[in-house]
Amino acid sequence: MARYILKRILTGIIALFVLAAVTFFLVRLIPGSPFQSAATSSSVVEAVEREYGLDRPLFEQFLSYMGKLLRGNFGISYSNPGVSVTEIIWRTWPVTASLGTAALVVSLLAGTGLGTLLAVSKSRGIQRIISGGAMLASGIPGFALAVILLLVFSVRLNWFPSSGLSSPLHYVLPVTALSLYPAAVITRLTGNALRAELQKEYVLFARAKGLGETRTLWTHAMKHACRPVLGYIGPASAFLLTGSFVVESIFTIPGIGREFVNSITGRDYTLILGLTVFMGTVVIVVNLIADLLGAWLDPEMRRAYRES
Amino acid sequence: MSILDVQNLRVRYHEGKADGDVLKGVSFSVEKGETVGIIGESGSGKSTAMLAVMGLLDAKARVLSDHILVGGGKPCPGKNIAMVFQDSLNCLNPSVKIGRQVAETVRARRKCSRKEAALRTEELLDTVGIRSPKLRMEQYPFELSGGMRQRVVIAIALACEPQIILADEPTTALDAAVQAQIILLLKRIVRKTDTSLLLVSHDPGVTAALCSRVYVMRKGQMVESGTAEDVFYFPKEEYTKRLLGDRIGKGYKAGEEPCGDPLVCVRNVTKEYDTKEGIYDISLDIGEGETVAIAGESGSGKTTLARVITGLLEADAGHLYYRGQELDGSLRKTLGRGKFQMVFQDPYGSLNPVLTAGQALDESLRPIVRGEPALRRRKVEAMLALVGLSAKDAGKYPSEFSGGERQRIGLARALIAKPDLLVCDEALSALDTRTREQILELLKTVREKERLSCLFISHDLHAVRRISSRVGVMYGGRLAELGRTKDICSDPWHPYTRLLLDAVPKADPVRAGRFRGAVAEERGTEKRGIEKEGRGCPFAANCTYAMKCCAEEMPGQYSFGDRQVSCFLYSEKHSGRRAKGYTMTSQI
Repeated sequence: MARYILKRILTGIIALFVLAAVTFFLVRLIPGSPFQSAATSSSVVEAVEREYGLDRPLFEQFLSYMGKLLRGNFGISYSNPGVSVTEIIWRTWPVTASLGTAALVVSLLAGTGLGTLLAVSKSRGIQRIISGGAMLASGIPGFALAVILLLVFSVRLNWFPSSGLSSPLHYVLPVTALSLYPAAVITRLTGNALRAELQKEYVLFARAKGLGETRTLWTHAMKHACRPVLGYIGPASAFLLTGSFVVESIFTIPGIGREFVNSITGRDYTLILGLTVFMGTVVIVVNLIADLLGAWLDPEMRRAYRES
Repeated sequence: MSILDVQNLRVRYHEGKADGDVLKGVSFSVEKGETVGIIGESGSGKSTAMLAVMGLLDAKARVLSDHILVGGGKPCPGKNIAMVFQDSLNCLNPSVKIGRQVAETVRARRKCSRKEAALRTEELLDTVGIRSPKLRMEQYPFELSGGMRQRVVIAIALACEPQIILADEPTTALDAAVQAQIILLLKRIVRKTDTSLLLVSHDPGVTAALCSRVYVMRKGQMVESGTAEDVFYFPKEEYTKRLLGDRIGKGYKAGEEPCGDPLVCVRNVTKEYDTKEGIYDISLDIGEGETVAIAGESGSGKTTLARVITGLLEADAGHLYYRGQELDGSLRKTLGRGKFQMVFQDPYGSLNPVLTAGQALDESLRPIVRGEPALRRRKVEAMLALVGLSAKDAGKYPSEFSGGERQRIGLARALIAKPDLLVCDEALSALDTRTREQILELLKTVREKERLSCLFISHDLHAVRRISSRVGVMYGGRLAELGRTKDICSDPWHPYTRLLLDAVPKADPVRAGRFRGAVAEERGTEKRGIEKEGRGCPFAANCTYAMKCCAEEMPGQYSFGDRQVSCFLYSEKHSGRRAKGYTMTSQI
């Protein structure tokens, strides 16, 4: 088990460095300089660039950046002079994390709940509504949904505040916008997996044993049906992170996503890189945890791990 | 009053054709403490009837009946009626511990604390003959052997404290020795707990060993019923006679005698797995046109041997010869895969579901006949005809065929590559008696027509003696006995062979009534693990003739004429110095 985790962590670190390298060169392809604006003359821009070492050969810059990254130093943000990238991450990450966790929990609860209903319901109507709804929900793009929610519930009806995250009420619209797609996917995953499990012989046997429907469902079938859902948590967390770019911008939430979008428009090389590496780490860690959880649910794998 | 009384039970599936009744009004009853059997070929509606009684058929089925009464009341699964399923691997939840699966049944039956349920579970597991139940309760189904799992399933049925247990093919998935143990267990339970038992089986032997009354079912109808003696000794219906006759196997005509040079020679082949299992020091010849069988319980290394011969596995030590040439990697390459073909056990899993029968055959044919699609198609059709299917079947997908038909396709797929050696790995085990019979006959005719050598692997000695001229009995990865099938089946020399022969119940109620199963009654499989570490004979732990030397040394192969046995009873040390013309006889 320990060896497996170690291997995963090592491959994760390698993946992060590849990610950092690719992003480093991609960012430089964006035309313009971080310090360019209408008010500054080109000589000033050049002077500042020299100050930051941006006039040196690209590969040399890359090596020096990677060296710093190895020591855990993300560097200083170009567009916020004097503020380190680490500070920005520390400031914005809790906001995004709370939003993302809330969205993940909501989509898991709604998804498994509706999925279970989809699988066990005998009524054709309910089945149609759920599967149709899931299809529709997974088809609406996140930005459109966020804008529609904002227009209807905040601007027109004025039920929910439109920006910031200062009270639980503020969470409702962004969390809805973020979690609708993953909830739809989880609904379909749970529904299909559970329906397949309910066809299996051990379910028939559990009924023959005289267990009630709820016992059969929860202690027997669910144990297997939730495995694909666990597998989806990794991709879902990546989706929530990218989704936060849009949602945070639309609802003006001071999170990491909005910072990311701003850093790109400002060509803030160090900030872009720092945030990319950080988000990469988050996605890799979440995937690892989800995989381990999934393995833990399978006794055969669990025993194998324990022995190795 | 009867414990179970079913009158005029009909089951219909809505989406079926006009004549879609699966059951056309069957009636049966079971008295208190009685064991009743229902026999019939697969597809006759036995299992459907059981599930209908339990009320567990899915919503698509419409169940009609005059009445279904259990102890005068309505059947209530888990309360007054319980069921034992055939496939213990699928019916136990793979990711729930054994203990919990039993305990939850106990708690569903009567309100009690977790602790009481755990105690009761231990007691139940002990009743069904599981040793160290405490340890087993913490294990998952995949950690138990097939026989042990079936015992757990029976324990779960007992946990319901039912008035009647329905057992649907409870021993079909098990090999002979384990089957015998389960039969004895069921017998003991009926006697001890006074529970009634309704046994559904396609195997008249198992039915005869357990039941006092028998119903015969065919195509959703009861065609015959009566006491076991009446039905088995004086069957009225042609169908019943056939069903019984198949199993008894009237007069076996063994295959061809070995002739000419051996096609394949196996010399001192050893293949070991990490788990200490495998095959050790096996030597065997397969003659041209000869059928050699390998018999033995599951885990004895039969399949490993087959895979080594066909080249799917590489031997750790020893040599293989093909027509006198050493069969190594380069020779295999020049021969191509086609020379050794396998027919697999599972007719459902071994055919690719997205290929039609024709495509599957064509795929095997392609390495031999390149191009010429018309010729290939003709060959495919001819092959389908040979195995008793029609040319139309080439366009059908595996899911449209029955188990027997799929096995025909599996056979056709193997034969179309024009092999020298056909390896049938438990090719009949998953089929019911009648289909098995048909495939066996088919195999015999095809073998003679094509002059094919055949390695026939089976745990079913009846099938073995119908088809093979020579048989090797394997135990614990070693060849216990090798010789002419007729000799070995009528006069076993090795104690294990004897046990294997005794373990098969006869379709004869009087003899089966005295059925004691294997000599080493319930010691069977469980002790195997311990003795494997030892240097001695792998069978020593279960052998009633075991001597001191058996546990310490490995017996050699002692040859007498065309017969070979690996047991100290036949060693010179034990039987003394022999004169020149000495004829060895069975020592057991």
